Amino acid sequence: MTTRYVDHVMGMPISLALRGRHTDDDVAAQAWTQALDVLRAADRMFSTYRADSYVCRLNRGELTVTDCPPEVAEVLALGEQARCESHGAFDVRRAAGLDPSGVVKGWAVERAAHAFDLLAGTDYCLSAGGDMVCRVAGPNSPAWRIGIEDPHAPDKLVAVVPIRNGAIATSGLHRRGDHIIDARTGTTPTALASVTVMHRSLTQADIDATAAFALGPDALTWLQSRPGRTGLVVLADGTRQIFGDSTREMTSSTSSRGMGRWATK
Amino acid sequence: MTGDVAQTQWGPVQVQLTLQSGKITAVSVPQYPNGNRRDAEINEYALPILINETVQAQSSQIDMVSGATVTSDGYIRSLQSALDQAG
Repeated sequence: MTTRYVDHVMGMPISLALRGRHTDDDVAAQAWTQALDVLRAADRMFSTYRADSYVCRLNRGELTVTDCPPEVAEVLALGEQARCESHGAFDVRRAAGLDPSGVVKGWAVERAAHAFDLLAGTDYCLSAGGDMVCRVAGPNSPAWRIGIEDPHAPDKLVAVVPIRNGAIATSGLHRRGDHIIDARTGTTPTALASVTVMHRSLTQADIDATAAFALGPDALTWLQSRPGRTGLVVLADGTRQIFGDSTREMTSSTSSRGMGRWATK
Repeated sequence: MTGDVAQTQWGPVQVQLTLQSGKITAVSVPQYPNGNRRDAEINEYALPILINETVQAQSSQIDMVSGATVTSDGYIRSLQSALDQAG
């Protein structure tokens, strides 16, 4: 029996699924309220659509980072780390100023999800616009079954992945128009249809999915170099490529061939 | 095309390739190690399992949908919306 909650924050649907001891009682409702409060606070702090957010005030030169709460420096540091690790393809610095939204979403949902850690004996899955944190309460709880949307036919799925404890994020262009750019060239990447990344941390999964999408043709090689990630790349032509360090380990006898080369032969 | 099951130090592994006109269109791993407790911890999030394109999402018994950012405007027509309403 799964109990579901939906609300809207940051212009995105926030979906929650609960199973177990606390699904529709007061403590579940309190945790849901608390999680939404965390998301709304992140939106107030970082939204590029809110003139009074710290990000907009930074961009207008009214503040410096040291004037802001420590969360601002934390998010900008994550963005800088991602820029270095993606060889410049991911960058929160834009011509028009800072736009840390590629970092904030995963980071905020990961923080919000902690509200449900307090629900004893309860499994949860918290999703913001398709990026989510999954947890199960014990060794006998079944995994959450997460469908990965087909970027070419959003009413269908390309894959399913079971997640007990972990996070999943998908990046692509097919829902919101051209919102990802390759910061090295300033252009919209066209080689890929979507990138899905699983990782222990939603912050990292979300950053990696966006960075890989920006890397375009280099995405698969880059993702395979990242420890602790598994996932799926769907190319613009519909080719599907699964990646993951566990795959590499488990197919060590053939690993020199590489999944990327298999898929392009 | 499904390969032989290979024994690795983590357990049995099997790889499946989907070919279309001589081109590999999908690679999946139908069998991977999950036998003991240590492996179960490693596989807290596993590898995606590819779905045949004719399979409708509704028949796949999923709990949630991961996709490129759904806006609140687009949500009403999304698979996630259907799941949320189904309860």
